[in-house]
Amino acid sequence: MTRNLAPILLAMMLALISAASPGLSRAEPLRLTLDQGVVEPLPLAVPTFVAENSEGMQYAEELSRIVAEDLVGTGLFREIPRDAHISRVSNFGAPVQFADWKAINAQALVTGAVSADASGRVVVKFRVWDVFAGTEMGQGMQFAAQVDGRRRLAHKVADQVYSRLTGETPYFDSRVVFVSETGPKDAREKRLAIMDYDGANVQYLTDSASIVLAPRFSPDGSRVLYTSYETGFPRVHILSVGDVNSRILQANDGVMSFAPRFSPDGSMVVYSMTQGSNTDIWAMDVASGATRRLTAGPAIETAPSFSPDGSQIVYESDQSGSQQLYIMPASGGEGRRISFGDGRYGTPVWSPRGDMIAFTKQNAGRFHIGVMRTDGSEERLLTASFLDEGPSWAPNGRVLMFARETQGAQGASALYTVDISGRNLKRVRTPAGASDPSWGPLQ
Amino acid sequence: MSRGLYISGGAHGALFLWLLLGGVFRPEPPDMQIADVTVLSEADFAALTAPSEVAEPPEPVAPAPDPEPEPTPEPEPAPEPEPAPPPEPEPAPAPPPEPEPAPAPEPEPQPIPVPPAPEPNPTPAPPAPEPTPQINAPLDSVRPQPRPAPRVADQPTEAPPPEAVEAEETQQAADPDAEAPEQAEEAQEQTAPPETSTEIVTEAEEPAGSRAPTSSMRPKSRPQQTARAEPDPEPEAEPEPAPTVADSALNDALAEALGGGDPAPAADGPPLTGREQEAFRLAVQKCWQVDVGSQSANVTVTVGFELGRDGKVVGSHVRLIGATGGSGSAAETAFQAARRAVLRCQLPDGFQLPPDKYETWKEVELTFDPTSMRLR
Repeated sequence: MTRNLAPILLAMMLALISAASPGLSRAEPLRLTLDQGVVEPLPLAVPTFVAENSEGMQYAEELSRIVAEDLVGTGLFREIPRDAHISRVSNFGAPVQFADWKAINAQALVTGAVSADASGRVVVKFRVWDVFAGTEMGQGMQFAAQVDGRRRLAHKVADQVYSRLTGETPYFDSRVVFVSETGPKDAREKRLAIMDYDGANVQYLTDSASIVLAPRFSPDGSRVLYTSYETGFPRVHILSVGDVNSRILQANDGVMSFAPRFSPDGSMVVYSMTQGSNTDIWAMDVASGATRRLTAGPAIETAPSFSPDGSQIVYESDQSGSQQLYIMPASGGEGRRISFGDGRYGTPVWSPRGDMIAFTKQNAGRFHIGVMRTDGSEERLLTASFLDEGPSWAPNGRVLMFARETQGAQGASALYTVDISGRNLKRVRTPAGASDPSWGPLQ
Repeated sequence: MSRGLYISGGAHGALFLWLLLGGVFRPEPPDMQIADVTVLSEADFAALTAPSEVAEPPEPVAPAPDPEPEPTPEPEPAPEPEPAPPPEPEPAPAPPPEPEPAPAPEPEPQPIPVPPAPEPNPTPAPPAPEPTPQINAPLDSVRPQPRPAPRVADQPTEAPPPEAVEAEETQQAADPDAEAPEQAEEAQEQTAPPETSTEIVTEAEEPAGSRAPTSSMRPKSRPQQTARAEPDPEPEAEPEPAPTVADSALNDALAEALGGGDPAPAADGPPLTGREQEAFRLAVQKCWQVDVGSQSANVTVTVGFELGRDGKVVGSHVRLIGATGGSGSAAETAFQAARRAVLRCQLPDGFQLPPDKYETWKEVELTFDPTSMRLR
């Protein structure tokens, strides 16, 4: 029987092969799968922007420098120094000599031109090129602003370049509100301040008469919530960034309220309030002032933060005996614990992308800034130091800014940023000490 | 009585049977250890063995930044039963305190002839005659950890000497002291591949200054997403079956069958061997730059292109065949990264593929799958 089957099978196989053979011999491509790339900064070239008139000359160098610094500062790009460039871009409209840029291994090229007029208006144009494909990425664009807003102009250009090269939403044209700190640790003066994301253009929003804490931007960047000890007790204040007017959000005498944060649509504020020895999370409608209690347990619940869709709140609680992270519905209710590692977890912040939660972790005498998925899995610690705390997300959910304090009586606090991959940890250049950053939206 | 006899007879019978057949039930010989073998030429062998004669312990030893006598990480059999954990070579001394990407050594605009610099090759420096620890057997061996480096790839690379320019190939600086003045050695800058670590090292994971554990060693959350640390894809060491005679005969036969009596037989060579495919795959892979923190790291793209006989992409045209796992802009970014990898690595001379098999690699479809690299 089997002896009879064998030739039949063979014949069938041959028939199959010969039927398939015309396709195989001609069109069948070589198919391979790659699974291990390299992680390294992408080399890019940002030649000095072309000055299109004599007024533009003074800004061309400055603007192209800011664009390059923004991009390189992400850790995702490496700038090829200008003295290595082979071709000089002297005309914005002239065709790009791709071979010259390939030769120095520039994978992306940003060209730009700057002009200015007597009224103090600066115009910047730019294009982004994929050198190896020999094509333009996206289309040329131009931005205009008054002279004193030229840093924003450069950030806008860098934002466009970033988003074309990475496919992500950008974050350079954004601001950070923080607490500026001067003086020694035991007599420190704290003022509310606001700055560009890179530490430039610092402006102060309050004087140093009373201690201020934990400022938080509203989702549209127009208002700031913060806690002030103006009255002797901590009180949540709301400040309008435009006219720097502030008012107390709520006034129940003898009740401490702190850790405020806006809901994603800006209509609600969640905060914690201490009554007696119990601290709970409350929500307040900003317009009507109506309040509602969201947690009821005897434990300390604080540091609430909304998910970007507004449906859930992540917070910290010590109900299990140690400080851990929990998630509850935005309407309140039973919390679900998500952190289970060693040590204490605090100040959770939901990523604007919605997929991660950043937190401060204290373990074995060290502080870490870390991220985990919203179900608590894949915890990853990004930093380690004597004291790191208070992470705040960049508007695109890619970078975290936090405060790091050094040890000792002369210890000072400074702001740092770190990519969520854990790479590119660096200090933000602030004029004085700084803590409690809150990263505002893209403008 | 007869019952006793039966019992006795039965017992004896069983004993005899056991004696006779017992051998059959002896535990099976242990499973064969199958190891991949690569045939080395005499020269290869000499090259491989030569350095180890110079430097006795072949493991790259952690540079031991602190002076106290310390167990070198590898010499004792690690307590884990893993078969010989691959030494994660810790490149270069002087660990910078922060994981900020050490400023990549920029090509210095220096006058060209550079004084001869130490060979940047990974010849492990013979361990300084360190006071070897007495029997202070460590409770557990401290593994060398990957150091932060600006580049993360399959293969770790030591930090290049400061005066070296980064390049794919390592080459020595021209020696200005060399004789032969009549034919001056062409002045060239010393180059070395960029320093590379095998995984992203965050500040929290960085080896601390002191060996006292500052935090519990958490088990790492899954294979560190970025790059495998196994000494894996060295093309020479690939366990791809070398084309045996039988294989090539089979391939010929197959090709013949598939060719169906094609009147142009020269075009249709045998298919690429596994090793040739692997070399091609690695050639593209080393140019594939992945932004692990981005949404595009969730996207698997397949691109197609046609290669000319010179091994270059015809018309520099790489087309997107398919993308899965991400939004439009993430897919577009992933595609651009894949396209850059293909177009960049074909330079300067095209991909090195066997010309006689051109028909088999004329059309190529590559799938770029970052699943094992991404952070989440």
